[in-house]
Amino acid sequence: MAHICGPEVVKYACHCGLLRSISQLYFCRHCSKVRCSFCVCHEVDSIFCGKCSENIPSAEARVKKNRCSNCLVCPSCQQELWPRVAATKTSANPDEPKQVVKKMHYLLCQFCRWSSRDVGIPDQSSVTGFPDRENVYANRLQEVLDAYKAVVLAQKQAKENEKKKQRKKYLSYTDITGVTAAALRKRIGLPADRTHPLLKNKPKKPDNAVAVEEVDDLPEELFTEPVNLLEVTSVDQRLLYPEAQPVKMDKLFPVHKQLSIKRSLRCRACEHNVSKPEYNPNSVKFKIPLFAYYHIPDIRIVTVEPLRAGQTSELIIKFTNPTQHQTVVSFLEIALDEPEEPEIKEVEETMDSLNIQEKQHASLPSMTSTSQPSSLLSLGSHRQPMITIKPRQIFQTLNSTVEIPTSTFILPPRDDAAEFDDSGDTHNIQDDPKLVKWRKSNKAFIRLSVTPQEGLELKTEIVCGFAMKHLYTNTIFTQQPQKYEHKVKVFLTLGNLVGSE
Amino acid sequence: MPIYEASTEKLTVVLDIGAAFTKFGFSGEFSPRSIFRSEVYCKKTKKTRRIIDFETPEDLYDLLVEFIHKVYFKYALLSPKDRPIIVVESLLCPTLFRETLAKVLFVHYEVSTMLVLPSHLVAASSLPAETALVVDIGYKEGVVIPICYGMPIVQAWQALPIGSEAIHNNLRSLLTSNNTNIQNVTEKVIEDIKVKCCFVTKKYRAEQLGSSKPEITACPDVKYPLGGSDTIIVPGKCRERTFEVLYEEDNDHLCLSTMILDAILKVDMDLRQQLAENMLLIGGTTMIPGFKSRLKEELAKQLELDRYKTLKIQKFKFHTLPCKENYAAWLGAAIYGATELINMNGLSRENYLKDSHLPDWIDLKDTNRSL
Repeated sequence: MAHICGPEVVKYACHCGLLRSISQLYFCRHCSKVRCSFCVCHEVDSIFCGKCSENIPSAEARVKKNRCSNCLVCPSCQQELWPRVAATKTSANPDEPKQVVKKMHYLLCQFCRWSSRDVGIPDQSSVTGFPDRENVYANRLQEVLDAYKAVVLAQKQAKENEKKKQRKKYLSYTDITGVTAAALRKRIGLPADRTHPLLKNKPKKPDNAVAVEEVDDLPEELFTEPVNLLEVTSVDQRLLYPEAQPVKMDKLFPVHKQLSIKRSLRCRACEHNVSKPEYNPNSVKFKIPLFAYYHIPDIRIVTVEPLRAGQTSELIIKFTNPTQHQTVVSFLEIALDEPEEPEIKEVEETMDSLNIQEKQHASLPSMTSTSQPSSLLSLGSHRQPMITIKPRQIFQTLNSTVEIPTSTFILPPRDDAAEFDDSGDTHNIQDDPKLVKWRKSNKAFIRLSVTPQEGLELKTEIVCGFAMKHLYTNTIFTQQPQKYEHKVKVFLTLGNLVGSE
Repeated sequence: MPIYEASTEKLTVVLDIGAAFTKFGFSGEFSPRSIFRSEVYCKKTKKTRRIIDFETPEDLYDLLVEFIHKVYFKYALLSPKDRPIIVVESLLCPTLFRETLAKVLFVHYEVSTMLVLPSHLVAASSLPAETALVVDIGYKEGVVIPICYGMPIVQAWQALPIGSEAIHNNLRSLLTSNNTNIQNVTEKVIEDIKVKCCFVTKKYRAEQLGSSKPEITACPDVKYPLGGSDTIIVPGKCRERTFEVLYEEDNDHLCLSTMILDAILKVDMDLRQQLAENMLLIGGTTMIPGFKSRLKEELAKQLELDRYKTLKIQKFKFHTLPCKENYAAWLGAAIYGATELINMNGLSRENYLKDSHLPDWIDLKDTNRSL
């Protein structure tokens, strides 16, 4: 959508104070606020391989270390590798003249012509059967890891024992008589060993690391032999395989392709999704698309007169109503210092009523099954509340003023059929002719006057801003559409200042 | 342990954010999943920006938000919310950086627990060694901190701005005599030349090549192709002398070898020989061929001087890591992370939000236990 909405000359202020173009914003219908990618909570929705477009469940991806088991990447240029078929003729029995043609595969990079034959990987009979390398230190490190686990576990148990000892108030029988616990257990016929199972099989301590005095010397031929740059790997090639980090080209091995994800976005304030993609990796559609582009009037600059310092120029902008409901747009003076106010009063009231409705919905299951608490509700309480980030101040300086019109105008609902209807404008809308220049279906062309500040230097980029108030119809609750006024700050980059006549 | 716990066990991200490269992986694994540059792409200016080049604290916050997003959604493929994270940091990490990182992780990404581990200490754990002299040479600086019986001796710390940044600058200035326009070459190209052509030479060769009339011939020149049409000529002398910036004493008579010996001087007399026999080199710069043998030569030479006569060290011994040097600290943290330690010592979100502060060894509030 970037090519439709770009270049980014019209920017909307997100609730968190960042300026974005309308294509990068979301609109949460539940709390009626504009959100951007910075102030929503990102979540991993589905994992897939970008080459074979296969969905991989998260548990499987975890086992495969977030890499596709089928697709491989060129270790030299990081492009995808393609299997090539090489037919080799092998006779199964030397007596028989008939030869069996066997299909063998090797890997080839279509970009840098690296092939698995270059580094001596034998051809494989199956496309996916290329061998992986193992960490040479794995055994040693596992020993070390087990030892550390045991140490920390012992520490933890010591701490818990300490707590138990403090709790003990009464002298035990064994303390008075001097009979040990083990002896007592033997007498009453219990098995003697009662140590904790985790303590019992203590892993053996790994051998101490040995430091050596001798170090590898530089090979003498380094001083005399010329370097072939094609044989030495670069840093990026080395880091593609962190375990081995091969220095020479002939040690490169193909790497499994890193998987990709689809993200779903969640509003931090009300925990509703604002964007959720479809599960299929081939699909570019969304299950939940609460993009601001579908809810907030789109503003585009049509024309602007040459801008001169201190002189008023005419600015024509186009408003488009993307919703199925009629809306009324009015202009307000912009106030940059004040942070985004929580909500206007009218909205608060409607929001309160929304909350009550929500509460009723939530309490319904518990009313039907009074004997046991609803599992849904108890699950909800486990979730930790999201932390809302304080909105920051809008970082944008304005160097021109817009004369704020007092009158308002109406934007009719979007009607896809009207695009093909040439019968003309049949809306009987009483417009202020000073404000509305022309209108067609759900679009209106609005005339504003802009005055750049005095004393600005030539070629200064002129930015103006105003607050747009529009009537928003919320259709999320089917009983009756809620109508309230939504306010958003808009910034227009109008171009550079030109000289006087 | 119940069986179902194995499947619901939370994956713990282990992150080592370096000045040049970030090491990322999961706890309990023996190599990082990926190592990538610590930089983010800025959409507004269409440029890649390194994290260390931040301008203001707010700028750092935004950069880290973008960077952690990349870590989780490009590499980890996990939602960060309500999951633990382990962060490896140097003991000399600036307060602003660690506090901002904690704020990003707890407030923006809402991680459940954060465990911060000191890089020098955990690096020794993969050996395992309780006592080691850990020399970490990264991008910005080289830091030496002795570890004695599992305890970092912070008062003996030594740091010098000798990392790969200094090496790159040195290489660039060495190349200027043979090549015009070298100042405009990006640092990535300089880094590539360093990695592909340069090495740490022997001490006598370095001294000879440094003099006006060398008696030896330098190693062959290399023609490095640049951008398809240009070539950079890398002279042999330059290939051998690139790393001299680590070993040449600066105006304060400090260099890599004196830094190590000064650190040993500052610890207790009984521990000195033990530390010298447990040297551990970590950080990407120490992977250059010839680094260890040259360091040994230099240390032996320094010991003969009056400055270090009191040390009475006979020999130096070096540990060989069970991994590559550049992710040694990460590996140690991954081993720590596989234990129960994160549940015992980690900082939970509730505790962080109480006073918005990450405990630090330098802060009396966090370290004073007797009161």
